Amino acid sequence: MRKFALMAVLVFLGGAFLPGLARDASASISLEKCTLCHGKPEFRKLLVDGRIRDLYVTGDTLAGSVHEKKVCTDCHFDVSEIPHRERPKRVACTHCHFKGNREGAPQSDNVLAYFDSVHGTAIARGNTKAPLCQDCHGSHQILKVKNPESKVSRFKVAETCGRCHMEIYAKYKTSIHGVALSKGIADAPSCTGCHGEHRIYAHTDPKSTVYSTHVSGQCSKCHSSVSIMSKFGIETEQVATYKESFHGVANQFGSRTVANCSSCHGVHDIRPPDDPLSSVNPKNIPKTCGKCHPGANPNFAVGKIHVDAKKKESGIIYWTATFFKWLTIGTMLALVAHIFLDMYGRTRRLRGER
Amino acid sequence: MPEDDRKDATRDAVGREIEAALNEQVSGLPPSLSEALREKIRLRVREEIERDLRERTTSNRRDAARLAKEARKEEKHAEEGETFLRFNRNFRFQHMVMFSSVILLIITGMPLKFPNFILSRFVINFWGGIQYSTVVHRIGAGMLIYFMVHHFLYTILTRDGRRDFLLLLPRLGDAKDIVHNIRHFLGKVPDKPRFGRFSYIEKFDYWAVYWGCIIMIGSGLFLWFETDVLRFLPKYALDVAHEMHSDEAMLATLAIVIWHFYNVHFNPDRFPGTLLWWHGRMSEHEMKEEHPLELEEIMARRGRESAEVTDR
Repeated sequence: MRKFALMAVLVFLGGAFLPGLARDASASISLEKCTLCHGKPEFRKLLVDGRIRDLYVTGDTLAGSVHEKKVCTDCHFDVSEIPHRERPKRVACTHCHFKGNREGAPQSDNVLAYFDSVHGTAIARGNTKAPLCQDCHGSHQILKVKNPESKVSRFKVAETCGRCHMEIYAKYKTSIHGVALSKGIADAPSCTGCHGEHRIYAHTDPKSTVYSTHVSGQCSKCHSSVSIMSKFGIETEQVATYKESFHGVANQFGSRTVANCSSCHGVHDIRPPDDPLSSVNPKNIPKTCGKCHPGANPNFAVGKIHVDAKKKESGIIYWTATFFKWLTIGTMLALVAHIFLDMYGRTRRLRGER
Repeated sequence: MPEDDRKDATRDAVGREIEAALNEQVSGLPPSLSEALREKIRLRVREEIERDLRERTTSNRRDAARLAKEARKEEKHAEEGETFLRFNRNFRFQHMVMFSSVILLIITGMPLKFPNFILSRFVINFWGGIQYSTVVHRIGAGMLIYFMVHHFLYTILTRDGRRDFLLLLPRLGDAKDIVHNIRHFLGKVPDKPRFGRFSYIEKFDYWAVYWGCIIMIGSGLFLWFETDVLRFLPKYALDVAHEMHSDEAMLATLAIVIWHFYNVHFNPDRFPGTLLWWHGRMSEHEMKEEHPLELEEIMARRGRESAEVTDR
């Protein structure tokens, strides 16, 4: 009787757990079945336009990636018979990657951010060239961002973006930020440092981090930080002086025509001022300023651009500011004193004291 | 209705005169032709006379209304005594141009000096954004420049302008007045200093505006035509102009809001302000209080003039 009871419990538990076990079993079988064809190194397809699509996949393809424990049909879930008759559809990562998923995928809304971004809306409009998740993150060898081998790691993401944005990548590569990054300086911004990761918008979109009125804020994230800039001997007052200048103030009030950081320093081709190719090299300043101030001449470069009137090094500007400061203080003290004396006298007379 | 009676009488008299003249002229013509001609001329002349009368009476009526209004005013303010014209129409116009331009300049300029102040964004957006508020600022600048030119010409070309300019020049008596006034405030001397046409307070205001206009217009033009300025001057000259413009704006605003507003609005004699800037007139009482020397001078001049008339 006890034996029977034990059997019953075992059967019951087996009934509960067997589907899971069976799934694991079928998964491993599935991988083996896929590699029956896809495991041959020469398994590839010649496309109509002459390109070759490599279809070689082995059991090690996912090894080391974040999806190590997944099997082919977890993502290629539209393959229900082998051999599959039609070409499987593109993998939809959103199958698992959404907030509240139960698959153990990271809980984030990045997918929603992506669909709102310039890439996501381009896809939605039917642009087949716009990137999906796997175009940046990779298809089988997806690694964590912190892994330097990842396609979206700090040091590799520019190359990944550059696969489509080739000209910009070429400019960026020789800019001060690109050079610094290639030297392994992790503080230097890559594409995502300025443009954001999933929330990438066109620079003409007010939501963009590089919209004309947002540029100075985006640059100042690093350039106003003493702890970052002191490593490279770059002054941090550039941000404050810009914000006090007419350019900065007008920019803050939403002017889209006034100069922001990148109007003068360049966008992807930012170079240090002593570089002869830099747009803020004294020799190039007439041309750079001339973009907005037609007829700019070398006089534009005489005197410091990011000038701070509160610093003694500013020379005549400092002395002008100081003169007016004391003139204002002196005049106003005298005038206010006169007003208070007048009121004092009136009070006396009201009280009847003479 | 004596006016209407007079009008009718005039009309009849003129009508009779015309009738007589016509009778003389058409006597030789056949009756039917003469009658038609007479009718035509009569109509035309009547029309002309009506128009002339109509115009003459309207302008008469307007004059009468104005005189009556002035008489009523005199009656109403009889206790204030005579009023004296302190600022002529030209001067009042200059002051109005100046204060409207300065108000425009301050409210469109100050947000640029204090962009983080909570109202700045509101004020800028009120004009439709920075690209429009800067245009308004330049309109204000244009008005201030016009005021400056107008005042220069006024000072040079008009008799009142020349007289006021000379009276506004600071002199030693002003320093004495300042000391006297402060001693008066402190209760050391019972009476206020006796001011002439312009007290030292008004002289200060005048020369403060002079200084402010020169600095603000000069540096403002530098900033307005920055590319043309940089054709001849280095970039730091523009920075100096920027600094001057910003700092002098602060000084001028403080001086106006604290000093000028106290003297003409907030001080208990004037609160909440008089209409002197509008009608330019000052009562005898106020003149005695604030510009006794000028009043004495006016009275003395009047005495001399009337004496001259009686001599003749």
